[in-house]
Amino acid sequence: MTAPPSSTDDRGFESALGRLLGIGVLASSACLALGLALTLLRPDEGAQRALLTSGLVLLMATPIARVAVSAFTYARRRDWLFAALTGIVLLELFASVAAALR
Amino acid sequence: MLGLGGGVFLVPLLNVALGLPLRTAAAISLCTVIATSSTVSAGQAGAQLINIRLGMVLEVATVAGSLLGGLTAHLFSESALQRLFGVVAILTAAAVLSRINRRNVIFDPMAQPGGLGGQFFDEESERVVTYRVTRLPAALLASFAAGNLSSLLGIGGGILKVPALNTWCGVPVRAAAATSAFMIGVTAAGGAIIYYGRGDLPALLAAPAVLGVQLGSWAGLRLAGGVPAKWLKVLLIVVLVLVAALMFFRSAR
Repeated sequence: MTAPPSSTDDRGFESALGRLLGIGVLASSACLALGLALTLLRPDEGAQRALLTSGLVLLMATPIARVAVSAFTYARRRDWLFAALTGIVLLELFASVAAALR
Repeated sequence: MLGLGGGVFLVPLLNVALGLPLRTAAAISLCTVIATSSTVSAGQAGAQLINIRLGMVLEVATVAGSLLGGLTAHLFSESALQRLFGVVAILTAAAVLSRINRRNVIFDPMAQPGGLGGQFFDEESERVVTYRVTRLPAALLASFAAGNLSSLLGIGGGILKVPALNTWCGVPVRAAAATSAFMIGVTAAGGAIIYYGRGDLPALLAAPAVLGVQLGSWAGLRLAGGVPAKWLKVLLIVVLVLVAALMFFRSAR
């Protein structure tokens, strides 16, 4: 196993990932709320459809972005074991996307 | 508030009360799981309760499980999925019932957490505590199963992971719950994407569910503080048994 991580490093990393997740879920909720409000006010318009769709896509993309940032961070720190593990998770998620687009 | 995503309640509600197909209910629920995971992890980041390294290792197994579950969900009949849901609800109730108040933490401040263990500030004893992770293969297996059920049933899978990490692998329950909450977003995303691609995710129904769950988890955090943990667990067990009974009843028709 690799040496235990220095705790200050990981704390900064944890906060950065937390911010990323917070921003992602906030942006997605804003899109969903706006899309829903528009639907209630004026149905049958293209704009809310696009807002709702982008809200859901943002929601699903947020955890994927978190994994991608982790993989990048581990690679930059030359922590190859964890770079490889997060890389595998990322590949599995891309396999989901590929299966969805098929 | 109990380290569970809430899908155990939302799926039966959508399926039984609103009459949606279980697949659609699962897809909507997975979206709320992602939202809950992101919100909770964003709020907890910095407290060092989330074991990021352990989470990343287990995600390899859990996402593989969710991918498989998402791909095979359409092979199961509605009633088979409902029966499976009932079994999982009963097992969860049993797990909550049997959870004794054991502690996995080491109080020696010089103790080494090892490659995957961790340290955090424990509010109960008001000191920094250390834990080690044991039996990693068991955790990987539980994570794979959790990911699989997550996709099939629309739940987060914390139900399987938190007890497994706590009882088999030596992770303190608060760290296990935080790490599980951190992971379920990725697990649920793997499943939700596949449902979305199949057209099983109606945006107009998912939007209010996602927004409502976020309001609910915020309110739950406020309320849970004032209620004794034991009452919460009893309430959870009662609801789970009712849910299981309802699902078995529906699948029999």
